[in-house]
Amino acid sequence: MNVLFLDEHNDVSRQALTLARRFGEPHSVRMDAVTPYAPDSLAAILAAAAERLEASAVVAAGTERGNEVMARLAARTRLPFAANCVAVTPGDPVTLTRMRWGGSLLEEARLHSPRPLITVAPHTIPADDGPTPAEIRVDAPHPGDLLVQVSGHVAAGSGGVSLAEAKVIVSGGRGVGSKDGFAIIEELAGLLGAAVGCSRAVTSAGWRPHTDQVGQTGTKVAPELYIACGISGATQHMAGLKGAKRILAINSDPQAPLMLNADYTVTGDLKEIVPAISAEIRKRR
Amino acid sequence: MIVAQAIALAVALVIAGALFGRRALLLYRLVRSGKPASRFDDVPARARAEAVVVVGQSKLLQRLVPGLVHAAIFWGFLVLFPTIVIGMIGAVDPHATLPWLGAQGWYALLVDVFALLVLAGVVAAFVIRKVQRPARFKGSHLGEADLILALIAGIIVTLFLWHGSQIALGLNDYPAGWAPVSSLVAGALHRPLVPFLERAAVWAHVLIILSFLVYLPYSKHLHILVAAINVYFGRTRARGRLEPIQFDRPEADVRFGSARVTDMTWKQMLDTMSCTECGRCQDVCPAYVTGKALSPKLLIMAMRDQLKTEGPKVLAANGSYTPPPIVPDAVTDDIVWDCVTCGACVRECPVGIEHIDHVIDLRRNLVMVESRFPEEAGTMLRDVDRSSNPWGKPQADRTQWAEGLGVRVLQPGEPAPDVLFWVGCAPAFDERARKAAVSTAKLMLAAGVDFAILGPREACTGDPARRMGDEYTFQRLANQNVETLNSSRVKRIVTTCPHCFNSIGKEYPDFGGNFEVIHHTEFLAGLVREGKLEPLAGEQKITYHDSCYLARHNDVRSQPRELVDAVGKAVEMPRNRERTFCCGAGGARMWMEEKRGRPINQERVREAVATGAETLAVACPFCTVMLDDGVREMGAKLQVIDLATLLAEAVEKRRNMAT
Amino acid sequence: MLTEDSRAIDTRHLGFTMSPHEECGVEEAVRIIEANGGDSVVLTLGPPEAVEQLRDAMALGIDRAIHLQTDGQEWDGEGTAAAIADAIRGEEATSGPFDIIFFGNESADSGGFQVGIRVAYALNRPCVTGLKKVTLDGANVRCEQEIEGGRDVYVVPLPAVLTVKEGLNLPRYPSVPGKMRARSKAVTVLTSARPEPRLELVRLDVPAGQGRRAESLGTGRGAATAVVDLLVKAGVI
Repeated sequence: MNVLFLDEHNDVSRQALTLARRFGEPHSVRMDAVTPYAPDSLAAILAAAAERLEASAVVAAGTERGNEVMARLAARTRLPFAANCVAVTPGDPVTLTRMRWGGSLLEEARLHSPRPLITVAPHTIPADDGPTPAEIRVDAPHPGDLLVQVSGHVAAGSGGVSLAEAKVIVSGGRGVGSKDGFAIIEELAGLLGAAVGCSRAVTSAGWRPHTDQVGQTGTKVAPELYIACGISGATQHMAGLKGAKRILAINSDPQAPLMLNADYTVTGDLKEIVPAISAEIRKRR
Repeated sequence: MIVAQAIALAVALVIAGALFGRRALLLYRLVRSGKPASRFDDVPARARAEAVVVVGQSKLLQRLVPGLVHAAIFWGFLVLFPTIVIGMIGAVDPHATLPWLGAQGWYALLVDVFALLVLAGVVAAFVIRKVQRPARFKGSHLGEADLILALIAGIIVTLFLWHGSQIALGLNDYPAGWAPVSSLVAGALHRPLVPFLERAAVWAHVLIILSFLVYLPYSKHLHILVAAINVYFGRTRARGRLEPIQFDRPEADVRFGSARVTDMTWKQMLDTMSCTECGRCQDVCPAYVTGKALSPKLLIMAMRDQLKTEGPKVLAANGSYTPPPIVPDAVTDDIVWDCVTCGACVRECPVGIEHIDHVIDLRRNLVMVESRFPEEAGTMLRDVDRSSNPWGKPQADRTQWAEGLGVRVLQPGEPAPDVLFWVGCAPAFDERARKAAVSTAKLMLAAGVDFAILGPREACTGDPARRMGDEYTFQRLANQNVETLNSSRVKRIVTTCPHCFNSIGKEYPDFGGNFEVIHHTEFLAGLVREGKLEPLAGEQKITYHDSCYLARHNDVRSQPRELVDAVGKAVEMPRNRERTFCCGAGGARMWMEEKRGRPINQERVREAVATGAETLAVACPFCTVMLDDGVREMGAKLQVIDLATLLAEAVEKRRNMAT
Repeated sequence: MLTEDSRAIDTRHLGFTMSPHEECGVEEAVRIIEANGGDSVVLTLGPPEAVEQLRDAMALGIDRAIHLQTDGQEWDGEGTAAAIADAIRGEEATSGPFDIIFFGNESADSGGFQVGIRVAYALNRPCVTGLKKVTLDGANVRCEQEIEGGRDVYVVPLPAVLTVKEGLNLPRYPSVPGKMRARSKAVTVLTSARPEPRLELVRLDVPAGQGRRAESLGTGRGAATAVVDLLVKAGVI
């Protein structure tokens, strides 16, 4: 049995591939098969390839583009589509588990479809070291499918990563100690491609501008990972963190509210710990 | 001669009367064009306010020296009032006077003494203004005040000169011995000039008084005429209550606060006309003294100036002219949002101006019509509206703080407890404010009080939305809470939050909710008094920070101090009780960034540190958070603790001693 | 908290709101109409109570609403899209075509990532997704889609279907006159039969580990290795 796989050639694709193998032998179409990106043409290519392969399923990683192309494939072929799955059991119907509410709830569902269309939620299952799938030869796209195609690019603003949209945030509180103390926070953020945030206490003290403040009266953030350094976690701050997927708290007080509400904690002096993390990242590169 | 002088006086009176009347009529028509305000009830309380604040000069005398100066001038003028008529009679006919009173020796003595007091007052006022130059006058029209003081001095000096020359000429109907000052003046006069001086002085006296009369309605000294009226129409009760907006009518008839001067109520217009620019409000304003954009004095002056320039155009155009918006034309957005609604200005104002009502009306228009407010407060408004609490926490988590305490959660249909403990959002959700709720619950359990909480059925009272100007959201929540409380047959409510205390106790009656609302400090002090709680007083020095919505708006001042005395040694901050200084969180400032000036909370913490106390006791969850933040920001050696927690610790200590 | 049958969230103490993506879509529609004139319609598929969210949208300035009423049962993305496409065809038959149809990029609750795209295909219109900026340009619309390190630009002809994301704009706080007016704006109620879902919900679960105590990665600088291991595992580096 063949399974068609939309490959982005990165970690999350390798993770998704693990799950795709459950449906059969994967054959891949590259996400960059059409450049610039034109999602309708990719959907058309997938539809034709799935027919040719008699694919038992079509699988992609649940990235923005993965979900987009698969939804277009679903619309084009009039098939149901399950986004952001974390587990699947092939069969008729397919039983699967998928993320709802941005991952805060899991849905167990049945997918009734002659050809299941599935994306896999990123970073939820480990990648296996199975073989790289064979790439399928792709025909030139139909002009009608190029109506929606990238025709330009706007570079990210000069201000670096914006807080509201950052995937990773390194944030400092009163525990950072001073304006200059933020150097180690900025260093770690630079290594992670992260945005720098801070608590209200920090802006009150004038160490950082108000635009850096995370919280009820600052920016509401929704990163994949929020690293809170020396932030006690006042209600005003926590109100801005509701969208954060994972929180790592570094604080000398293990009883600080943020330490109790975090997913991961490191207890101790952030002035030692943060530089040590930066050093460790450099060492591994 | 008499006829000529009578004609001259008549001409002067007609001219002065016409000039004065024209202006007075305009001002009257302006005030009549104001939007309605119900201030005609409660006559005894109004009469009392008139007696205490106007006649008794109570607010002015809060500052002793300037108070006495003003009182001398004010009381002097009351005594001297008949001399205006006596002077006019004397101006026409030197041999005539007011029947009976003009001939009374005791009255001559009163006039002499009070005229001297007025003169002394004027001199002292000049010294204050020219030498001492207090900061409260910053932004006031100083030249206008100088002119007025000069006119008053002129009135008194000419009075003495007239009386002196009368005595010298033997024209006095009263016994000269009863007028010692005038007699002294008489002795000092140059004889040959006296007949001429007598005429000149009395005419100068009368003409200065008439000029004064004409000048009044064009100047800030309109307060002489308007202040007494304004004080009469002031709020007589529930100073913390805001006037509800009537939404159940066609949109065009709803007054969404004040967008333009034409939207002001007649009382608010009267407020602006009463302002004498004395700056007492400015002096006590937490926003102003920490360097922010707001000065309550300048706010009222700006609205007055716009009313006086735009109002007549509106009246003349018969409604076809639309004046410019108050914000930002007369008052900037920053000014409107700097206010903490602490009420210090209202408390201080000697002429009964109600600044908070002006600020709230400006906010109501900005928020409800223009959707314009400090961006960061938007989250709070949305969360109060959608999640029924200002932090957007799940309502189901409202009972988390009480886990393991054995507190009853009142379910629908269950019999009402003796006391409903209205926890409030901050004590339920904020980890620092939570301690007060836990302590209060533990103490009530220990004292055997039959109480329960509403848990997830409790919604925000709407106070932060209301103080932001979002009356619509407030009323929705108020109606919902009143419905919950009434359907549960609740009679008595204890709250730990002064803002909940004010809203439920003073504002919910407007929405059909009539409950006995008790602040936890009052309730706990009662339990201590009854012997149901026995704390062990310690040696720690405690300074108590009065919350504005307790001490100033709602007169709860002694019970918290009973608790302080029951647990430690009290030491007062200079600004205490009804003249307390805000923590900075009131007026929904809790949910705004303090971008201008110095932090208000630190200002207050500095005052607390200066007392030498090791504990800063509070009775409000917002004060707890603000002052604790201030202590941390400054690295001060001070612990910020709610009185309930202090009491719980002291009760625990006594219990441990016993075992 | 879930209901006893684990098929839904226990909503007794929850308020309902429009999701952020959709609210931005509504705001963008209002702004476009304010700037260019015209007429805006808001549409939702949901139980009778969802009329409140339609009123919220009209309070922001939308002119009228269409409510595809359901009995509260879960509809899958396919069924939802089909019903919406039908409703739009019906509306366009009487009132003329919509130049732009906005959708939220994905629903906050089910996260299906497909309704807008399916409707676009059903109506045979171009569809651009994940938008953070929308600019009208004559007969075209210029769209900016958020990607790593910047934004991709698309220009497509109108009429088009655009799916948008939070951050597209800052939705206004609805004015009270707006809220009052919204109460009297027209809501057309339509019902359609729920097709048997091909993506069928069986049960909901709270993921294991949620609400548990934090996991300690150690103390002091010695924890750095564990932290970086975590960063690698989470795909941050």
